[in-house]
Amino acid sequence: METLSYLSQLLNPAILGAIALGTFGGLIIGALPGLTATMGVALLIPLTFGMTPVMGINMLIGIYIGGIYGGCVSSILLRTPGTPASAATVLDGYPMAQKGEAGRALGMATVGSAVGGLVAAVILATLAPQLAAIALEFGAPEYFALALFGLTIIASLSGDILKGAISGMLGVLIACVGADPISGVLRYTFGISGFASGFAFTPALIGLFALSEVFTQMEKLATGEIVSKKITGRWPSWQDLRDSRGALVRGSLIGSFIGIVPGTGSGTASWIAYNEVRRSSKTPEKFGTGYAPGIAATESANNAVCAAALIPLLALGIPGDVVTAVLMGGLMIQGLAPGPLMFQSNPDVIVGIFGGTFIATIFMFIFGMALIPLFSRILMIPRHILSVSIVLFCFIGSFAINLNPVDLYTMVGFGVLGWGMQKFGFSQAALCIALILGPMMEANLRRGLLQAHDNLFEFASGPITQLFLLLTVLSLAWPMIAKRLARRRSATTQENEDQ
Amino acid sequence: MIKKSLTAATALAAFAAGPALADFPERPIQVIVPYSAGGSTDLSMRLLADSIERNFDGVTVVVRNQPGGGGGIGTSAALHARPDGYTVGAGAQGPLALLPHLGGTDYTIDDADFIGVISRSLQVLVACKDAPFSDYDAFIEYAASEKPQIGNSGAGGANHISAEAFAAAAGIAVESVPYNGSADARTACVGGHIDAMVASPAEALEQSKAGNMTPLFIMEDERIDLFPDTPTAVEKGVDFTWSSWKSWIAPKGISEEELAWLREAVKVAASDEEFVQKMTDMGEFVVYEDADTFQSRASGDSKMAHDAIDALGMLGMNN
Repeated sequence: METLSYLSQLLNPAILGAIALGTFGGLIIGALPGLTATMGVALLIPLTFGMTPVMGINMLIGIYIGGIYGGCVSSILLRTPGTPASAATVLDGYPMAQKGEAGRALGMATVGSAVGGLVAAVILATLAPQLAAIALEFGAPEYFALALFGLTIIASLSGDILKGAISGMLGVLIACVGADPISGVLRYTFGISGFASGFAFTPALIGLFALSEVFTQMEKLATGEIVSKKITGRWPSWQDLRDSRGALVRGSLIGSFIGIVPGTGSGTASWIAYNEVRRSSKTPEKFGTGYAPGIAATESANNAVCAAALIPLLALGIPGDVVTAVLMGGLMIQGLAPGPLMFQSNPDVIVGIFGGTFIATIFMFIFGMALIPLFSRILMIPRHILSVSIVLFCFIGSFAINLNPVDLYTMVGFGVLGWGMQKFGFSQAALCIALILGPMMEANLRRGLLQAHDNLFEFASGPITQLFLLLTVLSLAWPMIAKRLARRRSATTQENEDQ
Repeated sequence: MIKKSLTAATALAAFAAGPALADFPERPIQVIVPYSAGGSTDLSMRLLADSIERNFDGVTVVVRNQPGGGGGIGTSAALHARPDGYTVGAGAQGPLALLPHLGGTDYTIDDADFIGVISRSLQVLVACKDAPFSDYDAFIEYAASEKPQIGNSGAGGANHISAEAFAAAAGIAVESVPYNGSADARTACVGGHIDAMVASPAEALEQSKAGNMTPLFIMEDERIDLFPDTPTAVEKGVDFTWSSWKSWIAPKGISEEELAWLREAVKVAASDEEFVQKMTDMGEFVVYEDADTFQSRASGDSKMAHDAIDALGMLGMNN
């Protein structure tokens, strides 16, 4: 009964309006490269000072959900990940848009985001206190094993294993630049203080995917290879949705799990989901060519992270990712201390946040679907004008994120690197995954060994660590096992036919 | 039309009523925050900006985030800005008093002009979930036989140095475990992956009510209201206090009048009732300190940090 009265406060038009405004604003912020959901939430916290807690926090959650979704727009249309969470959406979204089916790709992404968001919101509302316990099980060895498992994606994502491994190793090495996570010593900065935190991630991504693509397009323009296509397809087909059922379920669940584990976030979730969906697909070869389930997997995963990351925040007072860390600041300014006691002390706020998460996801779906025709039109801009605008966005976006001029060098450097990699068949995705997971793997390996006094057996003694290490071995050996199984199966059929 | 003339009238009124230096500031003042948007320093600065704008008609304060390098990048930008009074920096203990001793920065604390402290962040050493000790004496006793693992928010950062400085003062040995930011350290603490950590009273209060953290001692001269039952290190016979602070600093070379205006603005804004309320809700201990007090506090901290960093063998490691 009480729950209902807490929920009914959300029907207040002012609160609904604030959520709608937040979601819409977030969508635009997310779609613009260089403006991330984190920044959107942080910059608008002062706006919530005068609001009631439920209204203010729900507006921020709207920005978060809209922002993570909005990132897919520029990923799909321009190969420019609007936020790091959408980098994996580039893989299938961009090729589909290039086939002239931008609307279909955006539609699939919108459906995927909504499904992921709603699944995680249900989990948040029903199981938050129980699941939050998972968040506490992860110590340094567990994070290391999770990151290592994540890195095996590289082996299955890159067609050429050797080139994939080279890209991945390069990424891990690049991630070493900056302050050493354990001793604080600066590594490979060559005395440039701007690199003290390493290469900034978003500018690196923008260079790697967007600027490199502009270079490639310019090459094609120069040789006259470009044929502009008519834009067809505005909605995902029923066939797409049917094909994506499994991808949506897997993506949502993986996103929810990764979201609960603090310090991982939507970038990690979307790559792992993409890989798992591809691995379990009957037609893995279709991934990367503009295949709907690829989009469904990444987008359902990254939006599932949004609601799931609220679980440890609300239930334990520990933020699940960077954005929720900022949200925690917003809650504290409202005089609310997130933590285990909030369920008793402020049930109205907790229920309000649960409800607000649902409403924001629904608004996100409505706005997303309504804006698809408008967004798709961006591709009707003549190619040479579009390319110039993308270059402009690459620079503005890379600078806006930290206001650090050094980030512009990073962006251009990664642009040239990405272009070269593309030209010679090295996987940019592998490099990107290594950039995300490399630092997590290194810091936690060293932290864990420090705590275990360099005892490897103690380090690897936890059940979760062992589970992920086992999964790592299995996932690397799977292609061989699968081949052998297939051979045996065909051998048996052969025998049966012989008889 | 009406609106326009109203604005003009307000501006005129402010001009007439203002102090002798009515022509400063005539454009927005920019405060460089050396951390990402959304952290406690950033939010404090946004609250301060809000308060200045509320208390001084027609004045605009813009917060600009330049994160990276443990706060060194933004602090360097603020200290090397044009000294016209329109660019100031959020002065934080880490980048100002600690980082230059590690090396790799292009400034020292002597490059800063001091405007004022708006708040101090008190520090509590807490025992984490399932730690083998739950009060100060048990902690010291445990440390005699085994090194407790103390989490911090980053190597060479404020709570790494403060934990090590306490250990040196108390004559015990500890094992510092660096994390990537205080949120990560807190997660590890609540999950029982470390023995202890340095926390702010606000985060310690909520988690200790829930039984996930147990305060061991306060790094102040006297006990604080939030934890009346928790001793200080001083009363346990260890001459050790530590707190970090949030402040405004400026590049050297700003004219005396402009500097005076900035100092006055911070003083007025920091005593604004709404500002104090919001800061307190966020767990900050609002206390205004003028430029001279600030300068001697910062230099004292810098001196203490120098010795602690030297003892750790980290002095000048990034030069």
